Amino acid sequence: MAAPLPSFLSRFFYRPDEAGAGALSWLDSSPVEIPRRSQIPDSQLEVLAVQLSDERYAVPVDRVREIVKVPPLTWVPRVQPGLLGVMNLRGEVLPVYDVAPRLGLRDAPVGLEGAAALPRSARVVLVRDEAGAAGILVDAVHGVVRLPAQGLEPAPAGAYERGAIAALGRIDDELYIVLDLGAVLP
Amino acid sequence: MAAEQKVLIVEDSRATRELVSATLSAMGLEVVSAQNGFDALKLLPRHRFSLIITDINMPDINGLELINFVKRNPNYRDTPLFVITTEGREVDRQRGLQLGASEYLVKPFQSELLGALVKRYLAL
Amino acid sequence: MSGKRLADEFVAEAQEIVEALGKDLLFLDERRGDEPDPEVVNGIFRGAHSLKGLSAMFGFPALSTVAHQMEDVLDALRLGKLRFDDRVLDALIESLDVLQALLAEGAGGAVDAGPAHEAAQTQARRLEALLTGQGAAGPDPLEALGLDPQLRAVLTEYEEHRLKENARKGLPLWKVRAVFGLEDFDQKLAALNAALKPLGEVVSTLPSSRPGEEATIAFDLLFAARGARDAVAGAVAPLGAELSALSGPLEPPVALAAPSEGPEPPAPSRPPVPLEVDEPRSETSLRSLTQTVRVDIGRLDALMNAVGELGLVRANLERLAEVARTATAVLPGRWGQELHAETRALARKLEELQAGILDVRMVPLGQVFDKLARLVRRLVRESGKEIHFQIHGGDVELDKLIVEELSDPLMHLLRNAIDHGVEPRAQREKQGKAGLATIRLAARAQGNHVLLEVGDDGAGMDEERIREVALERGLVTRTRLNELSRDEVLKLVFLPGFSTRAEVTELSGRGVGLDVVKTNLARLSGVIDLSSTRGQGTTFVLTLPLTLAILRALVVEVSGKTWAVPLNSVQEIVAVEAKALRTVERREVLQLRGQTVPFVRLARLFGLPEAKLERYHVVVVALAQQRVGLAVDALVGQQDVVTKPLGGRLAHVPGVAGATDLGNRRTVLVLDVASLMEEFLRPRAAAVP
Repeated sequence: MAAPLPSFLSRFFYRPDEAGAGALSWLDSSPVEIPRRSQIPDSQLEVLAVQLSDERYAVPVDRVREIVKVPPLTWVPRVQPGLLGVMNLRGEVLPVYDVAPRLGLRDAPVGLEGAAALPRSARVVLVRDEAGAAGILVDAVHGVVRLPAQGLEPAPAGAYERGAIAALGRIDDELYIVLDLGAVLP
Repeated sequence: MAAEQKVLIVEDSRATRELVSATLSAMGLEVVSAQNGFDALKLLPRHRFSLIITDINMPDINGLELINFVKRNPNYRDTPLFVITTEGREVDRQRGLQLGASEYLVKPFQSELLGALVKRYLAL
Repeated sequence: MSGKRLADEFVAEAQEIVEALGKDLLFLDERRGDEPDPEVVNGIFRGAHSLKGLSAMFGFPALSTVAHQMEDVLDALRLGKLRFDDRVLDALIESLDVLQALLAEGAGGAVDAGPAHEAAQTQARRLEALLTGQGAAGPDPLEALGLDPQLRAVLTEYEEHRLKENARKGLPLWKVRAVFGLEDFDQKLAALNAALKPLGEVVSTLPSSRPGEEATIAFDLLFAARGARDAVAGAVAPLGAELSALSGPLEPPVALAAPSEGPEPPAPSRPPVPLEVDEPRSETSLRSLTQTVRVDIGRLDALMNAVGELGLVRANLERLAEVARTATAVLPGRWGQELHAETRALARKLEELQAGILDVRMVPLGQVFDKLARLVRRLVRESGKEIHFQIHGGDVELDKLIVEELSDPLMHLLRNAIDHGVEPRAQREKQGKAGLATIRLAARAQGNHVLLEVGDDGAGMDEERIREVALERGLVTRTRLNELSRDEVLKLVFLPGFSTRAEVTELSGRGVGLDVVKTNLARLSGVIDLSSTRGQGTTFVLTLPLTLAILRALVVEVSGKTWAVPLNSVQEIVAVEAKALRTVERREVLQLRGQTVPFVRLARLFGLPEAKLERYHVVVVALAQQRVGLAVDALVGQQDVVTKPLGGRLAHVPGVAGATDLGNRRTVLVLDVASLMEEFLRPRAAAVP
């Protein structure tokens, strides 16, 4: 059951034309709905599959708030290097992080200039955790997949950023690295 | 198909009003609220209430006066009426019941109790 | 409805009740010694009663218990069973602090534990003790009137009591009957009440059990008249009401016409309950526990109108867009003019909306003043000094957010004035000053700012002592100290780690200095200043912007990045030649009309590449008496901006107050001038551990 669920996924996407719908659009803008967990059997972990460099990562969908195209980002001084900058989403100011260096996928963060020249498929996945909402820059979004719970295994031994990995999941040949958001975000 | 039954809540505390109406709405009842006796008098002729729930201690027109009014008025006298109040003394209870209240609930009461009584009176 | 929302609703309502109680009790407090207005006492009773029921319903037994005991005391008061004296008033007023503390604990999740709960039990016992030895009720004068038992059945005990009181005074009791339409009976009743009020007391308003005609409702008002029958009849006739005697013959029973003394007040044989000075209570913040603003419906109507008009503008714009979309040829010039007119209308309406929303956020300072007055009253008594507390300008309005944040700094300044500012009576008299000291809290609006003053007529600040302490604590070098003027020396009290007394007393709180007050105010874009004259007193002046929601900003560029600098902290903008810069201990400074001011390169501060320039644009920012020159690459312009916080993860980036949108979805950062100044002006000695 690795097929993406497009109609479900579409709820996460922010459509830029909504912002331009008129001066009054804020009056009736409703929050993006969170999918009900109860529909999913406990034996499966529902995740959003994303591409980072040439690896496939996964974020539990109950942590995902929204997916947006990479917006113009504003640089912030005196913060951790993983922070690309802040974005303004319908009036809310949110930090956007580049987690690739943390995962050993890149030596240095892309930086603002790099972020402006990303491929068309790049997205910011907005997630939430105890510390508040944050955006994670990804190279592409694949879709929602359901990982069988028994098939999940811990991160392998070795010099990996084990703290950042919650589990590894597999569907057919594809390996999904489930991120531990609390650990991967500064 | 039975039309949705309406309940009137007369209570000057906003939060208590909301608490009671949350209980009733969850039972599928339509709730109309009044924050004092005057509002209640205005609402009475405009709706057909299946139940009236009133506080006692309210300014201007108190709950006892409201019960008296409802219970002496041929249009409303058959409507069950619950009192919700902090006046827990037996003499207060007797007074409320003598004036015609069907039930006398002393705050704090459990939402389940209110729910069960409402079910009984409205044959839900 | 979610449990969270219900809980919020509870806290909001309970808070409102406590505030209203505070206001009413303060009213009585100011008129100590006078016979209390029964209506006010009844209002307080009702508040306590509501709070009792409300907190019981929502599962806050301790809150309910204290409210219950207050209610019992107030009930005894309004029924004339208890005499209204200082002891009673003090107990009631101090109960408010207990309620406030319980509410704060409750809002924080603690329902049945916490230090406030012990205070609550003590307070409940104290209130209960007031009621022992109550006098028995006298003979019932209503018996003689032969009232309809049905009528007595619907009267509350209080209404019955008022009826008795009036009967006891020998006043005639009337039944005023009026029939009004269902649509407007409440207005008509209000008019009737207004007509009757000058002539006596409306004891009860009963919806008549005798039904009126269709779509009407009949009321019987029980009225105790001070005036003659003709006067009453004349007053009610225009409203179509009729007058009849409440009971049979209305000759006042002779035995009852004699002035009755009423029940004997309890003899003050026992010593008054000692004041409980418990720590947690004095540390309770006065901030309100909710984020709610109660809004006048009129203000919302204005907003709704603006929205309605925006809808019209939108319709016009859509029409114009449709014309443009379907146009086959070049659009006519008229189209452009219309579009221009509509966009201008849009801008105007949006401005209106913005102003309207700002208006909604405004609340009177009186909200926090009332709470402070209560606190001051307690502190004054605990201090044993004799102080008159004056409040002015409670009607001045400020952004709710600012008002909330103000309570703690103001509380601190007032404590300071009570504790350190004013002298004991004996000392004052020895110096030929009035024995009764005065502490003043005043607010006034001035343009886009509000000025708040906390002043006392005490001894004034001891300049020499401040010098000593500053030296002792290493806050300033001796050489530097010798150069400082009196005003500058006084301002040393705002430095972190400064406290004018070695031992911190019970009253002034622990470990909180004026530096915290200053930092808290700076966070609100506010500035604090003080003046003090030996022997005449000390005054702190707080300058605050009307709102934090919108601020006028100077837009600047630094190394290709755009920043907004709040204009309220910008003093001036100057051009400085690079060769005019000097250094002091390696730090760059510039000369500004003969004064040396620190020169800060924002690019360097933020680790950005610096442009080599011959001339710098320097934005001179000021906070209180301090100034710093910020070097920027270019000045872009001025704009009104709405500052947004950077959010949970980035809440404390030094130098950044938040972000704002300059339009075109361009987000820029807003400079936190206060924290930058703090960073630069912190004395080096203090920075070294």
